[in-house]
Amino acid sequence: MRILKGNPVSRGIALGKVFIYKAFKADVHESYFEAGKEEEYFQKYQDAVKKAQDELQNIVTSMEADSPEKAKIFSAHIEILTDEEVEDEVRTMIIENRAMPDYAVDEVYTEFANLLEKAKDPLIAARVADLRDVRNRVLRILKGEHERNLSSLRENVIVVAHDLLPSDTATMKRDRVMGIVTEAGGSTSHTAILARGYKIPAVLGVPDATEIMKSGDSIIVDALNGQILLEPEEAKIQEYQEKLIEYVKEEAETSEFLDKIPLIASGERFSVGLNVGGTDPDDNAKYVDFVGLFRTEFLYMGSEHMPTEQEQFEAYKRVLANAMGNPVTLRTLDIGGDKTLPYLPLPKEDNPFLGNRALRLCLTHIDLFKTQLRAALRASAFGPLQIMFPMVGTMDDVRAGKAVVEEVKAELSAEDKAFDEKIAIGIMIEIPSIAMIADMVAAEVDFASVGTNDLTQYLHAVDRMNPALADYFQSMSPAMLRILGRIFSEFNKAGKPISVCGELAGDHLGALLMFGLGLRKFSMNGTNIGRVKRTLSLFTLDEAQEIAKKALDLPTEAEIIAYVNAEVDKKAE
Amino acid sequence: MYSKKTELKNVSGLHARPASEFVTMAKSFESKVTVQRLDDPEAQAANAKSIIKILAQGISVGTPIEIAADGPDEQEAVDKLIELVDSKFGED
Repeated sequence: MRILKGNPVSRGIALGKVFIYKAFKADVHESYFEAGKEEEYFQKYQDAVKKAQDELQNIVTSMEADSPEKAKIFSAHIEILTDEEVEDEVRTMIIENRAMPDYAVDEVYTEFANLLEKAKDPLIAARVADLRDVRNRVLRILKGEHERNLSSLRENVIVVAHDLLPSDTATMKRDRVMGIVTEAGGSTSHTAILARGYKIPAVLGVPDATEIMKSGDSIIVDALNGQILLEPEEAKIQEYQEKLIEYVKEEAETSEFLDKIPLIASGERFSVGLNVGGTDPDDNAKYVDFVGLFRTEFLYMGSEHMPTEQEQFEAYKRVLANAMGNPVTLRTLDIGGDKTLPYLPLPKEDNPFLGNRALRLCLTHIDLFKTQLRAALRASAFGPLQIMFPMVGTMDDVRAGKAVVEEVKAELSAEDKAFDEKIAIGIMIEIPSIAMIADMVAAEVDFASVGTNDLTQYLHAVDRMNPALADYFQSMSPAMLRILGRIFSEFNKAGKPISVCGELAGDHLGALLMFGLGLRKFSMNGTNIGRVKRTLSLFTLDEAQEIAKKALDLPTEAEIIAYVNAEVDKKAE
Repeated sequence: MYSKKTELKNVSGLHARPASEFVTMAKSFESKVTVQRLDDPEAQAANAKSIIKILAQGISVGTPIEIAADGPDEQEAVDKLIELVDSKFGED
């Protein structure tokens, strides 16, 4: 058995037979024709465009009623096909340079694709797939070949291709496709977005997939772990069939809760938030009330230079747009001596997690901090944004951070730049020393969010990166529950918003316990939303409070987990 | 030649549907119409009748732009396109 690795972009498991899909592949060479035939060749191009437009219009017409969203893809293709700049340039190449039509089309579309690829916005760069798609259609017609697609699959298959273009996936006979494997494509590619939309397990970016596999091969697509198992033995097949049944069962139970309003059994409303770490849109944004944690490290880690104010400003606006009007909590830079940035030398530290990191680092690199705050404040003019400092240990930190925000606000006002004057400023609670004075902190911040991973690490003195200490990392320990209960009640008393954006909020048992302790705002990764909404919906307020109260008096984490698990199992039956 | 300045006000910027509506409207005029980003000194004026050129500009919310037209219906073209941008394309 051989295992191929790739990027699991749409979760799930599929077992079945391979179908290798070879789309029309254009074979274009630089070639010219003799003088005098300019009009004849330009007419050929125009005829091909006309035919392509007819094909596309037919698809639009056949789809408009049942799948208007898919029809839009092909309407967009017509716009590209008839783009006047494209036509002008193709005309110039044919009439003036006497380029053969296929060569002219290939050159012009490639030039425009390069132009779009340069756009920093991933949504625009994704349109390059549409351009390639239209180019292939025109080239195929120029060659006199018929349309090829996945609309007439006769049996259930796992589609393996170099890449799937929008027209391939939109016309694909979807109930026959159990899985998708491609050589090209990342998690924001057209194929990935589509596979997630249809809930088809997909692993992309598998090098040489169409060379290694052939139609009819038996494979397992493990799109939970990003693996393709070729010609698996019987025992593996059985193992995966069981996994598949379990996965489908859990998905069915939780996915119907995704788009439900988060309510507990006695009718109280809670809020579910999304954690994000980049500018790519997250399909789960439509199921949540807020973005409780927007990590900004990607801007710094993925760059060769210090990210400029303008770059950050554009990224923050994009994240606001992705949030579809919901409030976004931007966490300022959270790195330390464990990371190396080419443009910012940080001294090696013996204990980087107890070192000069996050807010501490920002306060010692004030220019870096101000640049980020300027970009964030300017973005706040375009949507509901709030700012949150990580690694706050004392009230001195709170005040120092807020003072820099005030300075930056004054600078922006002097420059006549727009920002939200009433922007909320809050902190992460992840160091026990700040948790212990939650009552005083609540008076000086607009909100706070608990990072349960770091709080566990600092409360239990356990390095969470050290695998040897995994058993010591206990987020649901009695000590954690007691400190969390204290934080929630102090913030609730002060009437200041308190949320949890750590792993514990996305763990349905942890969420239930914290609801009982007084928490109402839970921010998590998209994959946990359905499950948390479902579990909380099973309990009344009294029940949740009773469970939390009992758990607070259990002496070990193991006993707490066993107890809460049993309560959930009782309800779920 | 006639021109006016404005700023993108809808959160999704000049992408996808808004870009498509913008180009469709531009095409309904006889005049030559261009869009120029004002916040990037290196940006070139883009043909407003080309969806690809408009998308490639990557015009997001808050970007200041200048719409210019040259031709028999230049004033109407600019005024109508500015109105469309300022209407936020029906968003929120």
